[in-house]
Amino acid sequence: MGVNISAPYIYVCTRMRVRKAKLLPREEYMRMLNMSVAEITRVIEETEYKQEIDELGTAFKGIDLVEVALSWNLAKEYQKIQEIAPGTLKGFTHAYLRRWDIQNVLTILRGKVQGEKPGKIKEILIPAGSLDKVVLDRLLSEESNDRIIELLKGHRMFPVLAREFPAARESGSFSHMENELYKQFYAEILADAKAGIKGASAFLSYIQLEIDIKNAKTLFRLRVDAQTDEDVRDMFVAGGTLSINDFTSLDSIRDTNEFIDQLKVNFRNESLHALMDELKGQKGSISGIEVRLTRVQLEQMEKMSKRNPFSIHPILVYLEKKKYEVFNLRALARGKESRLPSEKIAEYLVM
Amino acid sequence: MALRDIKPTRSELINLKRKIQLSERGYKILKMKRDGLILEFFKVLADAKDCKGDLLKKHARAVEMMALANTVEGAIGVKSAAFSVKEVPQIALKSKNIMGVVVPQIESSKVKKTLADRGYGVLGTSTVIDETASAFEELVEAIILSAEIETTMKRLLDEIEKTKRRVNALEFKVIPELTAARDFIKMRLDEMEREELFRMKKIKARSTS
Repeated sequence: MGVNISAPYIYVCTRMRVRKAKLLPREEYMRMLNMSVAEITRVIEETEYKQEIDELGTAFKGIDLVEVALSWNLAKEYQKIQEIAPGTLKGFTHAYLRRWDIQNVLTILRGKVQGEKPGKIKEILIPAGSLDKVVLDRLLSEESNDRIIELLKGHRMFPVLAREFPAARESGSFSHMENELYKQFYAEILADAKAGIKGASAFLSYIQLEIDIKNAKTLFRLRVDAQTDEDVRDMFVAGGTLSINDFTSLDSIRDTNEFIDQLKVNFRNESLHALMDELKGQKGSISGIEVRLTRVQLEQMEKMSKRNPFSIHPILVYLEKKKYEVFNLRALARGKESRLPSEKIAEYLVM
Repeated sequence: MALRDIKPTRSELINLKRKIQLSERGYKILKMKRDGLILEFFKVLADAKDCKGDLLKKHARAVEMMALANTVEGAIGVKSAAFSVKEVPQIALKSKNIMGVVVPQIESSKVKKTLADRGYGVLGTSTVIDETASAFEELVEAIILSAEIETTMKRLLDEIEKTKRRVNALEFKVIPELTAARDFIKMRLDEMEREELFRMKKIKARSTS
């Protein structure tokens, strides 16, 4: 960042650190693991989620109320951070949160294809990106998917949607379009990060880390069943350490230990190396590995944010940690409701 | 059939003998069919036991995976991924014959899908959704197989029950009654023959005296 750091940067980064410090600590989750659903709900009600729980109390009840309130709080918090972020940080934050737009638009399109009522689709939208509640409501009120895509003219997603939607509608499967949207999203934020603006290098280092982790997760997922070469290429996100050839050749390795060794060779990250060493010879579920990779990602982000205290990193760390707080609380409530053992729930908590 | 309703005639006796022969032949065939069906039933039963066990195991896993998916992705994530489902498995019913019993043969469209065919993108979802989808695909396959085996078993059981009733009716009701009627006619015919003989002797004695 250099020495000329403007006051708003320091102010926002400090606020992020304060907000991060307010997030629930590990001990609290451990305590909540021994609580019943009612007790967990009460704890959630007593924290910053109270307002959303009160607001939504008439429309939802039980565990659904908790989940929707958590999601709404996340969306509200993200919107607030986009408002307070200064200068280039605002642009980066805005770009980073655009992934929620993809999720929301795809949910609307799929919901419409399935013939779901707008109210039902609305329940599962999280307006945490650039498309706020008003825009999402407008999209929901449209009858046809073509009109929805037309309304998105001018949005960054539009070119991909316009290009891919006819084929997706034809085949009935949105998977390729979804992958393309995410690839476009990463390509765009990489382009933003490489634009040479002040603070962009910090953003770039994080995006590259995220892409690496995303590709590693995808490679582990692909090990479950064989895919065609074309499908494998479709799932690769460019811009990280791996090239598309590394990705396909890693996917072709069937022996797990050999695969992990090769993955280690491709990544230079020490925490990832340590995780790969742990995974060698272990027989765990892929979802468990995914959670462990997420933990490595957060750990790395934390380190980056300490190295660059007045950059985009503190904001990104807070955004991610806030997201995982919401995910963890939801996991605790849902897990307890489904009577999953506490140890099993703990495996999936990102602490 | 009450014995008093039976006409003790020779033609009736011949008729009854024919009926008894037919019933005994039918009884033997039905008994063989029943035994054959029971053997088939036990074969299907072994398959059904394995299938049911497998189904229960897969159901438990699917329920656990759904709970886990709700835990990790939330109901929101699960519902959003569920919107990707584009087709329901189609089943076609055919039939096959096991010892005269028509049982169904269920053929379904491909239920198990690859990651690329499931309709949701890999980059926007997590593994737990794959694992849940896979668990439910396996469950649907097991349900289809189980439906075929259980229907076969039920039809075989119904047929065994029906055949057993027929065998018992023949063994304990029809054949004994026919035999009793035959014996009754035989006895009546013998008696009539004896009466005739006695009458003839009496006439002969009166004419000689």
